Amino acid sequence: MTRYLACALYMILLYGFIFLPVGVLVLFSFQDGRFPIPPFQGFSLRWHQEVLGDGDLMAALGNSLLVAVASSLVALTLGFLAARAFATARLPGVTALRGALMAPLSVSYLVIGLGLLASFNLMGLSKSLWTVAAGHVVINTPLCFAICAAALGEAQVSAERAARDLGAGEFRVMTLVTAPMILPALIAAFLLSVTFSWDEFIIAFLLSRFDVTLPVEIWSLLRSGLNPKTNAIGSLVFLVSALAILSFELTLARRK
Amino acid sequence: MTKTNLLAALVGSTCLANAALSQELNALVWCDHTDASFVAPFEEEFGVTVKLKEYEGTGAALSLIETSQPGDWDVLVVDGIDVPRVVAAGILGPLNTDELPYDTLFPELVMEENHVIDGVTYAISEKYGYNTVSFNSEVFTAEDMADMTRLWSGDFAGQLAVYDYYLPVMGMIAVGLGMDTATLSMDDLPAIEEALLALKDSASSVGEVVASQTAIATGEVDILVGGGEWVTAGLTADLPNLDWIIPEQGAVRWSQSIGVFADSAQPDLAQEFVKYVLSPEGQAALATSSCYWAMPANAAAADVLTDDQKRALRWDDQASYLARAQLYPAPDAELDAAMQDVWTRFLAR
Amino acid sequence: MSQRASIETRATRRAWWLAAPALIWTLAFFILPFGTMAVLSLWQRTDVGLEATWDLGNYANFLANPAYIQALTNSLEITVTVTILSVLLAYPLAWIIAEEIPERFRRLALALAVIPFWTSYVVRSYAWSLVLAKSGVLNDWLGAVGLGPLDLANSRAATVIGFTHFFTMLLTLSIYASLVQMPPNLRRAAADLGAGAFATFRLIVLPLTLPGVMVGAFLTFALCIGDYVTPQILGGGNDLALPQLIMLQIGRRADLPMAAALSIILMLAVTLAYLGMARWMKVVR
Repeated sequence: MTRYLACALYMILLYGFIFLPVGVLVLFSFQDGRFPIPPFQGFSLRWHQEVLGDGDLMAALGNSLLVAVASSLVALTLGFLAARAFATARLPGVTALRGALMAPLSVSYLVIGLGLLASFNLMGLSKSLWTVAAGHVVINTPLCFAICAAALGEAQVSAERAARDLGAGEFRVMTLVTAPMILPALIAAFLLSVTFSWDEFIIAFLLSRFDVTLPVEIWSLLRSGLNPKTNAIGSLVFLVSALAILSFELTLARRK
Repeated sequence: MTKTNLLAALVGSTCLANAALSQELNALVWCDHTDASFVAPFEEEFGVTVKLKEYEGTGAALSLIETSQPGDWDVLVVDGIDVPRVVAAGILGPLNTDELPYDTLFPELVMEENHVIDGVTYAISEKYGYNTVSFNSEVFTAEDMADMTRLWSGDFAGQLAVYDYYLPVMGMIAVGLGMDTATLSMDDLPAIEEALLALKDSASSVGEVVASQTAIATGEVDILVGGGEWVTAGLTADLPNLDWIIPEQGAVRWSQSIGVFADSAQPDLAQEFVKYVLSPEGQAALATSSCYWAMPANAAAADVLTDDQKRALRWDDQASYLARAQLYPAPDAELDAAMQDVWTRFLAR
Repeated sequence: MSQRASIETRATRRAWWLAAPALIWTLAFFILPFGTMAVLSLWQRTDVGLEATWDLGNYANFLANPAYIQALTNSLEITVTVTILSVLLAYPLAWIIAEEIPERFRRLALALAVIPFWTSYVVRSYAWSLVLAKSGVLNDWLGAVGLGPLDLANSRAATVIGFTHFFTMLLTLSIYASLVQMPPNLRRAAADLGAGAFATFRLIVLPLTLPGVMVGAFLTFALCIGDYVTPQILGGGNDLALPQLIMLQIGRRADLPMAAALSIILMLAVTLAYLGMARWMKVVR
């Protein structure tokens, strides 16, 4: 009995800790006053309305979606192709190659961003959403590669061989045989990449100019004054992503 | 409802992005230039889009410029004191002084020694204010703040925040120690550092523009070192208890200048933008921007500003303030590096 | 035989073509930029711009400047504290979710534990600053029960809390994953052989889950030491961390070479932590 009580108590405390900032964020996004701190002065939707009417924020939202989807598609393609290469043939120096592909995972985003900033500058490339997306492909490719590599096994290799024996070309093997077989892994890798890109700040901050992504816009919002508007955009983004995740979970659960 | 709004806004913003394919003017500015209502009249008149990138501190601007390509930028807003440095780096091009309102500029803000180099004008002042002491008048009186050295005496331990920009705060301390900001040298640094580190022991936080405003507006602290009307003026409507003062020893005056990039692809349009910013309407909007309020450089803005706004800006006291404030320090490269090292030690303490 | 060999060469050649895009991308946008930084760290910032001096001046400056060393020490202390705290908080939670609660609530409990993960990363730090502020929610509540106020805002404590929050969620996930991978009969066997609950945990569960914990801890270390946002928002300028120092080089001095040198030093710290973990794992095995 005491054991259950202890467990319950621990869970309550930790969930409290985990949800505290989110709860406060959402609560004070409804603050009917100038500052998102106690006392709570009453319920108001005005900050949410201001967020939806803020052209810069909405443009940043669109940019973030664009960058997240585009960079994730590229990262998924690169990661998937590379994973297939490693699964179907024994390449010389495979450990080193795999290591090189995975290396960006352990390097701080700040360092990746700085390196890209310096290199793009030397190359004479202007900063834009494209440079941001290129950076996000760098951080997401290892992720997609690892997830695809884990999903590809003997079953895929022999199915591919069978398809090839029946005369299917390489492209058709890939799109009609391999990809459908590991579809859940592909979806998971894509969604994870989208999440990472969507939330990434420092690379986007260093590599963007006027067209910025949402985290960068929120960063400048933070620096334009203490304002429940920051709470409102934070809460909205949270609700939308949480709903997306939840529906994804439910679809998966139903399919099982 | 929310979702439809979101969608509509999304679609709308995409259309806007496409419309922006028309002519664009790219400006690198402090955050007080980023209100949509500030640039809207100019955009309408000339049928162009003004794209603004904000930065904080000249070093950040130089970083951004150095990691950009030639022609990326058209207009630069920069601290008046740094104009010679920026010109020496070949960043600014000559400014056409015809049609600029030199006759209504506050005389102290003409600052020829900064703006005119070898007979060529490169920039013009657009806004100014003071780095001094802001305080909560419910907790402290003006007499408490009169002697600047009390700030680092330990009397206000835990009750003050410091604005995170080395030039004005170190300049202020120099003034408090009776030094002349224009002739600061390496020999003055040890005394300044000693006071600065003592100040850090009393400080509860060190933050940039908004963090500083937030700290004093929410009662986190009651004194903001480096503050001034740029902190309090915009907040007086909500928080009448916020006040600022120039201590007996004096304070530091900051000013922003605006100029056109040497490699701008559309110098004529950029010049028009400078003219707009210096016009009474542009000046009034700039003085009362949402990021921070401060005095316009062009006195003609008085005709556009309301009486309340002028009161918040303390328009009528400017003559005495201007007389008592010294300019930002303008260190050479060696002193600048040494000052930044002192500031890093201040932050790391 | 020769036909088989040619099939294998063909497969290898095809594999090269498949791997090429990812390898080229990694080379162009990761390895080359890293090389650029290493090279840049040997240059100097001067009045007029960047100069290729090819010396270790920036590294010497780092070593000669106590404030810079302090920033590295601050970062290491913060990161180690956060890593240990997060493991200690996350392990029991992962354990309870994996072992103690009914199976049909497990996924829900796990999902709940990581939901705040999907608040925007910048916003999460900001939200903590609202909670911890002097006039913030925490002190409001403490005041209501006659306690406090706690002066947590703008301090190392605030930075550590913000980080620990994030990494507790991350580690709960990864530790949960290694707990459920453990074969259940091992523990049953231990119990059958008369081992008590604690002995089972110490002798069976802990050694089996430790590699997973270590990998999670390393990831925590690498992400935490390289993060700029959390110390910048929550530290209040009182506890300069290495990434903040790096951003200061760019933001205040336009000194890309020094920023590059500091980044190399940051990566050195991460590499050392990685080697330490790898060595430790080898010893344990």
